[in-house]
Amino acid sequence: MPRQLLVLGSGTGGTLVANLLARRLEKEIIQGKVSVTLVGEGPDHYFQPANLEIAFKGVSPHKFSRPEAHLLDSKVNFVPERASKVDLRDRSVTLGEGKRISYSYMVLATGAIAKPEKMPGLMEGSFNFHTGPNDARRVWEALQNFEGGTVVVAIAGIPHKCPPSPNEAIFMLDGYFRKRGIRDKVKIKFLTPYPRAYPSEEISKVVTPLFERAEIEVHTFFNMESVDPSKRKVYSMEGEEHDYDLLIAVPPHQGADVILNSGIGDAEGWIPADRNTMNVQGYDDVYAIGDATAIPISKSGVVAHLQSRVVAHNLLSDLEGTGRRLGYNGRINCPMEVGNNRAIFVSATYSTPPVNQTPSLMKYIMKRSFGKMYWKALGGGLEWLFDLYFGSTSYPMEVTPEITKPTRGVTAKAGEAISG
Amino acid sequence: MSAESRKIIDSRGSFCPGPITDLFKAYRQASLGDVIELWATDPAAKADVTAWANKSGNQVVEIVDEEGYIRIVVKITKKR
Repeated sequence: MPRQLLVLGSGTGGTLVANLLARRLEKEIIQGKVSVTLVGEGPDHYFQPANLEIAFKGVSPHKFSRPEAHLLDSKVNFVPERASKVDLRDRSVTLGEGKRISYSYMVLATGAIAKPEKMPGLMEGSFNFHTGPNDARRVWEALQNFEGGTVVVAIAGIPHKCPPSPNEAIFMLDGYFRKRGIRDKVKIKFLTPYPRAYPSEEISKVVTPLFERAEIEVHTFFNMESVDPSKRKVYSMEGEEHDYDLLIAVPPHQGADVILNSGIGDAEGWIPADRNTMNVQGYDDVYAIGDATAIPISKSGVVAHLQSRVVAHNLLSDLEGTGRRLGYNGRINCPMEVGNNRAIFVSATYSTPPVNQTPSLMKYIMKRSFGKMYWKALGGGLEWLFDLYFGSTSYPMEVTPEITKPTRGVTAKAGEAISG
Repeated sequence: MSAESRKIIDSRGSFCPGPITDLFKAYRQASLGDVIELWATDPAAKADVTAWANKSGNQVVEIVDEEGYIRIVVKITKKR
């Protein structure tokens, strides 16, 4: 019986970790000692950062999707089905139709799900670009019919995917209305629960003057409570209210239904994981990566990518019994367009907060280049380039056994080392 | 959270916006009169929580520098 490596979720992290494992275990897979299976909900894979391009530049959604099967190494078994239950004690996953898949080791890469329905009135009263490319397209269509008035961009819940995305949306809206020649007829308001225009103080020092120059009204400490679509008003828990003609909101997010239904995550379905080794707390045979975790860090593709590297390494260490494990150091690297073909990178680690910086054309070009490399990067063959880019600031530190020790719950027994 | 309960939120080890995000999650669940005790290691939490309380009409009961972390006690006195 081969060792069964199961990856749940076919987003950035799930796809990359499956491919990295398949590349590194090629011989063992061919010999029948190991199998790599990826369970993913749908047949297609979307480049999610492009939702901004679709919503605010009118780019066709078709440009940013590929069949998942085409992105996976041929040695990965792809099961395009919805998982309904995960049983960590029994080491099994139940699929929608009732079929069960057992695993020796599992990686949970189930992502974050935007849920506008969690906020009263938001579904009916707003547009968003976080629930997928089709909804992003609806933002673009709404903009085509907008001739003037108040556009409110609001964060309806935290945490959410892609922390810079609301700010980027505002810069892109400003550019869009200027291009149409109606910027003087549009008031743009930003409602954010955070204390400043961007959560990080240093990055806010970059964003705030640009917002001021573009005459963006920023309202901080706005924790959305509800929307009244009939009155076109949005309310906060703190008692503030704002009128809008067009509301574009980042919906509240939560973990995947399969995580909530399986009692693995916290009340919102975020999975508690060791922030270094990415082991699910209490289980040394299960890892969690990317948006799915409860780790207080950006929910972004770069994080999923870097964590995939760590987990692929640690899983191989588990299989081979080397005991040499690596730790993710909290590196983030979120690009943010700030208008006029300029961008910044919000970079930090667990111990180093983001720093102030000057927006540049070079960073804008780098951001666009990363987007173009995305599909190839998912295959796992561009890791040398990421090593070059991130250098010593990202990768992974070796961790001590104390860090890897599960901190609570049942400690599952890891499989024995494979031989030969 | 039941009326006038006390909840401890441990945000130690996370940078902004970690602590304030955790506070807002608790605020969303809280009722008037509840007390939220936020533990943070990020010094920015002091100013952020105080600014939020001043703007929203909630009350910072005390800010205590404990050994290695800050303890901020907030009473929920304003919620729509």
